Amino acid sequence: MIRAGALEKGSAILIKGEPFVVVEREFVNPGKGSAFVRLKLKSPSTGQVLRETMKTQDQVEDITVEDKECQYLYADEESYHFMDTQTYDQFEIPMKGFEDYKLLMMDGETYKVIMWEDRPLDIKIPYKVVYKVTDAPEAVKGDTVQGATKMVTIETGLKVKVPIFIKEGEMIMVNTETKEYVERVNS
Amino acid sequence: MNREIIKARSGINKSIRNFFTEKGYLEVETPLLSPSLIPESTIEVFETEYHSLKRKPVSLYLIPSPEVFMKQLIADGIGDIFQLTKSFRNYEQSGKYHNPEFTMLEWYTMNASAADNIPITEELFERIIHDRGKAGIFSPKIDPRHLTPPFRRMSMEELFFEKSGIDLAANLTLEVFRETARNKGYRINDADENWESVFNRIFLTEVEPFLPSDKPLIIYNYPSGIGCLAKDIPSSPWKDRWELYCSGVELANCYTEETDPQKAADLFKKEHRIKKQTSEVTPHYESVLNSIFKKSFPESSGVALGVDRLIQIFTGTDRLEGVILFPLSDILAQ
Repeated sequence: MIRAGALEKGSAILIKGEPFVVVEREFVNPGKGSAFVRLKLKSPSTGQVLRETMKTQDQVEDITVEDKECQYLYADEESYHFMDTQTYDQFEIPMKGFEDYKLLMMDGETYKVIMWEDRPLDIKIPYKVVYKVTDAPEAVKGDTVQGATKMVTIETGLKVKVPIFIKEGEMIMVNTETKEYVERVNS
Repeated sequence: MNREIIKARSGINKSIRNFFTEKGYLEVETPLLSPSLIPESTIEVFETEYHSLKRKPVSLYLIPSPEVFMKQLIADGIGDIFQLTKSFRNYEQSGKYHNPEFTMLEWYTMNASAADNIPITEELFERIIHDRGKAGIFSPKIDPRHLTPPFRRMSMEELFFEKSGIDLAANLTLEVFRETARNKGYRINDADENWESVFNRIFLTEVEPFLPSDKPLIIYNYPSGIGCLAKDIPSSPWKDRWELYCSGVELANCYTEETDPQKAADLFKKEHRIKKQTSEVTPHYESVLNSIFKKSFPESSGVALGVDRLIQIFTGTDRLEGVILFPLSDILAQ
């Protein structure tokens, strides 16, 4: 058991016997009241999303998980297909609840998959990742109303707001949590 | 750290100081370290020690709000006062709206009730908006109407019922309230679930996330089941206090201040007893109680307002860390 206040993004807990992954966690402490934590939880198997508000002192059943290095092969309509890089076993993770990973993962890349008793629970996408810009419109001169930014598309298909000096073919670092541009990476 | 935010912070602080000074409030500066505090069972405090060659070490605590000293000044008859000061709360996890060290604006109006402090708060907002307008630094991310007076006013009873379907007046005892919560699917552990905790569990799940945010919102008449130094409203289960929410964020808390020494003593005793069971750090309170309530405490109303959150909302900043210079989470991550 673990206190709800000790949970972090990516922690896995059991609710009525089913594993859930913490996808959002916000501490909330009323001026006159006990400390609480607001959790957004996702079931990796069904994609079900739960919103729970717990006292930070509440006990929750945490589960021991392990990270496994896996190669991301491709995505079909419903699932992400992975291969365990040690055993070469292939498996899939349902996309439901984790749809936005599709625009963050690159085919053929290796990612850490969070496993619980041979069940994949979540995929760990690094906090900051370097991507190639595959489509960038020419900046319109004098258009500084938007703080001199424009939308470009990166190799995964994700659209990112960047400064106007970014060109097609350049590499940029993106914050995978906020999906925001961080900086240009010089090769 | 964004230079525009630092300028906004400086500007808002100046507006606050000018506003209260022009209204005749005296600015005071009280200590951050105190050997005793007003006991609040849900607030964890920082403890340190004072060493000198002459005496044994003395435990000192960082104030969780300036109330402890400001009320001693009021008891001595100082009149209307305000203060902008740092306050500290331990175990606060850095987050969207929290930092263990934060800036508090606290003011006290004499011969006033909580209701009298609403128009003063509205005027303060008008002043900040007016001054910021001149500086031309309103964030394009915020709709000024969401911050502009007049504030919307709703009682906690009406709001709680509207959002959760629960009639608070019918749930005044712990047993009944726990049962109501269980019937709605809340997991309630009898051992450590007091009335306040059942209330906040439901409030934070079903009410607070859905508060109207098109105007600043005053929620008034809080249940007496949440113990605090606000006066009871006679022949009712409510206390004469309000909280201000802006864009769904708790921003300020106001009481018609308790003046009855016996009621204050009972509250301090109860809170201290709970604190001893739940906290590692339990400052003593007796000297504070005596200093504040040694003679008749003036009829008055006090407001505590989170300045970092105010700046966050006025500048459209997503996280509190964005308006605090050197937030603790950043310092610890280095």
